[in-house]
Amino acid sequence: MTSETPRADPLLVGTDLRRAFGATPALDGANLSVRAGEMVAVMGPSGSGKSTLLHCLAGILTPDSGSVVYRGAELSAMSDTRRSALRRSEFGFVFQFGQLVPELTCQENVALPLRLNGIRRREAERRAYGWLDRLGTGEVAGKRPGDVSGGQGQRVAVARALATGPRVLFADEPTGALDSYHGEQVMRLLTEAARETGAAVVLVTHEPRVAAYADREIVVRDGRSTTPELAR
Amino acid sequence: MRRWVREFGLGIRLVVTGGRPSWTRLGLTAVGVGLGVALLLLAASVPGVLAHRHQRVDGRDVTSSNRPTDTSVRYVLLDGSFRDHSLYGVVVQPVGRHPSVPPGLSRLPGAGEMVVSPAMRAALSTPDGAQLRARYPYRIVGTIGDDGLAGPREYAFYLGSDELDGRWQQSTQTLDRWGAPRNANRLDPTLVLVLLLGVVALLMPVAVFVATAVRFGSEARDRQQAALRLIGADRWATRRIAAAEALLGALLGLVVGVGFFLAGRQLVGLVSVMGISAFPGDVVPDPVLAALIALGLPVAAVLVTLVALRRVTVEPLGVVRRSTARRRRLWWRLAPPVIGLALLVPLIGKGPSTSGQSDTTRAGLGIALVLAGAATLLPWLVERAVSRLRGGGVARLLAVRRLQTDTGGTARVVSGITIAVAGAIALQTLFAGVDHRYEKVSVHESPVHAIVTVDAPFSTADRADLASRLGAVRGVAQAYAFGTGFAETATGDAVPLVVGDCATLRGYAGVARCADGDVFSAATAGTPPLPAGTRVTLGVDREQANRWHLPASTVGVPWQGDPGGASRAVLLTPRAAAAAGLPNSLPTTAYVRADHADDVVDDRIRTAAARISPLIGVQPMVSSSIDARFGAIRTGLLLGSIAVLIVIGASLLVTVLEQVRARRRPLAVLAAFGTRRGTIGRSVLWQTAIPVVLGLGVALLVGAVLGGVLLRMSGQPMSFDWTGALGIAGAGAAVVLLVTALSLPAVGRMMRPEAMRTE
Repeated sequence: MTSETPRADPLLVGTDLRRAFGATPALDGANLSVRAGEMVAVMGPSGSGKSTLLHCLAGILTPDSGSVVYRGAELSAMSDTRRSALRRSEFGFVFQFGQLVPELTCQENVALPLRLNGIRRREAERRAYGWLDRLGTGEVAGKRPGDVSGGQGQRVAVARALATGPRVLFADEPTGALDSYHGEQVMRLLTEAARETGAAVVLVTHEPRVAAYADREIVVRDGRSTTPELAR
Repeated sequence: MRRWVREFGLGIRLVVTGGRPSWTRLGLTAVGVGLGVALLLLAASVPGVLAHRHQRVDGRDVTSSNRPTDTSVRYVLLDGSFRDHSLYGVVVQPVGRHPSVPPGLSRLPGAGEMVVSPAMRAALSTPDGAQLRARYPYRIVGTIGDDGLAGPREYAFYLGSDELDGRWQQSTQTLDRWGAPRNANRLDPTLVLVLLLGVVALLMPVAVFVATAVRFGSEARDRQQAALRLIGADRWATRRIAAAEALLGALLGLVVGVGFFLAGRQLVGLVSVMGISAFPGDVVPDPVLAALIALGLPVAAVLVTLVALRRVTVEPLGVVRRSTARRRRLWWRLAPPVIGLALLVPLIGKGPSTSGQSDTTRAGLGIALVLAGAATLLPWLVERAVSRLRGGGVARLLAVRRLQTDTGGTARVVSGITIAVAGAIALQTLFAGVDHRYEKVSVHESPVHAIVTVDAPFSTADRADLASRLGAVRGVAQAYAFGTGFAETATGDAVPLVVGDCATLRGYAGVARCADGDVFSAATAGTPPLPAGTRVTLGVDREQANRWHLPASTVGVPWQGDPGGASRAVLLTPRAAAAAGLPNSLPTTAYVRADHADDVVDDRIRTAAARISPLIGVQPMVSSSIDARFGAIRTGLLLGSIAVLIVIGASLLVTVLEQVRARRRPLAVLAAFGTRRGTIGRSVLWQTAIPVVLGLGVALLVGAVLGGVLLRMSGQPMSFDWTGALGIAGAGAAVVLLVTALSLPAVGRMMRPEAMRTE
């Protein structure tokens, strides 16, 4: 197990995370911490446990052992309802595939997390349109995800992830399904928007070109993070 | 062609070698199809069951003959019941030296001997059968064979007698051979309609269920097809491979279905359905229908699969279901119900008859088309309705948008319930409109509970004995017996002639002062009694009648009328009867007043009467009893409707689970956002409830129209039983709620954060 040394109090800390699926270990003592406003790239080959680490940090998966502490609170000690509420209000997500609800328009997709947080429809859709416009996709607001290009869809997903003003944005291979031009475009927008809102970003990628947008990188191999992370 | 065979073979090999998931999928399909096949085979056996039953009933039927021959038998048919069972009884006495023997018997029973059906023998041996034993305390010398019974659960007996040529002679008839031309026990046209509607309404949802069953596990099949595309199979090849799997499932389902059918057939003899029972050997599918099922089902399975894949694009990296691009058209969707009504409406006033096979076929086809209209109209209606809906809360928004992108899928799922409910409502409408025809006459407003008739000369002493014995029955408040005869006015009006002592006449009408020798003229309120001096033709019967005049001393008395609807009667005391030339012994009737609420008082009255003679008839006057066969059909079909709703509910559940599984990715992402499970649960409910509510609306409309037309076909005025219809619609809605509730655990599993790992 290795660690790194952050300079300020971390917002989110995962320590000695272990998680197996059946007999197959996906995480075998991984560590990662993120400070507010920081962008951390998690790199590694396929099957190394990058996505599992992200899912554990986001409270989507519960690790078999180890801890995930967000703003001083242990995630695994929280109820499922509480973790759901946390994901709804404090976290944002961008995935490689399937992140948009296909039946909803792009604007409704972006408004969805706002509405889940209790914001009224009209206000949620107004804010959603604002984010779409800001990310250059205002023209697709009324279209369904199946009717827009992959790059536009990913930008809509970024807009949706940022619409609630999350403290942490989790992005799992956000450019994996895009060509390099659109991938660059999405990463530039994501980085700018995250910087503006002050959101921390945990970015899972296997592309060095994408990882270059991050403040720092860790590498996950065989379920372990191999870049020094915890030493402060 | 060789390529097709090869691809079919590959599809079958993929299933056979596909391991547990593949076998599970195949097993589910086979069981689903098997259930449908078993029901279809059962339905295909109904004509055979009825034919065998009719054949046996015709074989034991009686045709009286006037000339005694060497094979003649004197007989009396007994009409009775015990508890809820009808009794078929025949009292026999040989006339010729070689009396004809009814089917199922080796010889006629001698006097005081009885041959009984197995079911009656069993009933006689139970503690509950004590009442029946007391009624027929004769020596049992044999058991009626199967060929002499309508069904295995029938209570039947033949009782030997040596009194039929004595004083009971006038109530007997003579036959010289058992069996009658095929005209007995036919269903009337209305019952044919009811059965037709029931069978069509029950079978169409079964067809929907079978169509659903061959699509079980479509998601796993999609993945398999994508993999096949990746290795070079073209779109048509993947479809043929998928069709092969469906074909294998259907063929296996046929085998399973035949197994279910054979197993179920053994149980048929244990139960009484629609008031009749059948021998397992009777339950043989019609060969043509069985061949249609055997050939049609695999073909249908392949077609259903190909049609389902029509809107699916299988690409090497996955499967895309195309949403509707063009709006649905109404005109062809209206065609089935319009054609169906066009077939039915000309039958109004005629109705299908058992003799008119073409009319029956036409009515069946019309009913099927009208019900199919419920299924064809629904997708159009759902599309139109949801296109106007705007999302409300998140749950409704998700459901409405989902419905807007795929109206057909959900509507197809709901169409089974729509057809079942429409059929049930049509049945309910038909029942509500015609059941008064099958209700027995109610005389509850009169105190008479049962009428006991003796079609033999009974003396004054015999009548007193009869009244005394009936009066002693537990639950009977009063019984009085009187002699009856023939009386007719000069204008040809028949009036009841009643001979009894003063006490009896006081019970019969409002007689106050009375002495032997008095004559009374009874009339209901508003009807003038026959005045003194009226000339009446009077006697034991028309052949033995004399002219007589009501004497000047005749007293008019108030009367409540009799159950036969007469409004005037002539009442004679014994001495007056003798003066009028009537004999002392007359055919006799007894009126029994009893507690209407006592369910078994009828059985006790029958038993008391039978202890005097089994030939005495007892006719209970019960308002709530509906013609047994009609009541049984109603019960059977309503139970069938409930069973179909359950089957449809099961198919709905499977389809909803499939849809939930197919949406695993969006559901998992929604879970990642922190969407509450309750929100998704409500969304699933909305997604099912909106088409179901619309479907139930269509079902109400189609059911009411169809029921109305069928009512008119059976010659009844239009009427609609809202309570019953809403009850059925409520049952349909309850099925949907139940299905939603049962699908929630699966939704929860799909929303578990762990599901993200599959992304």
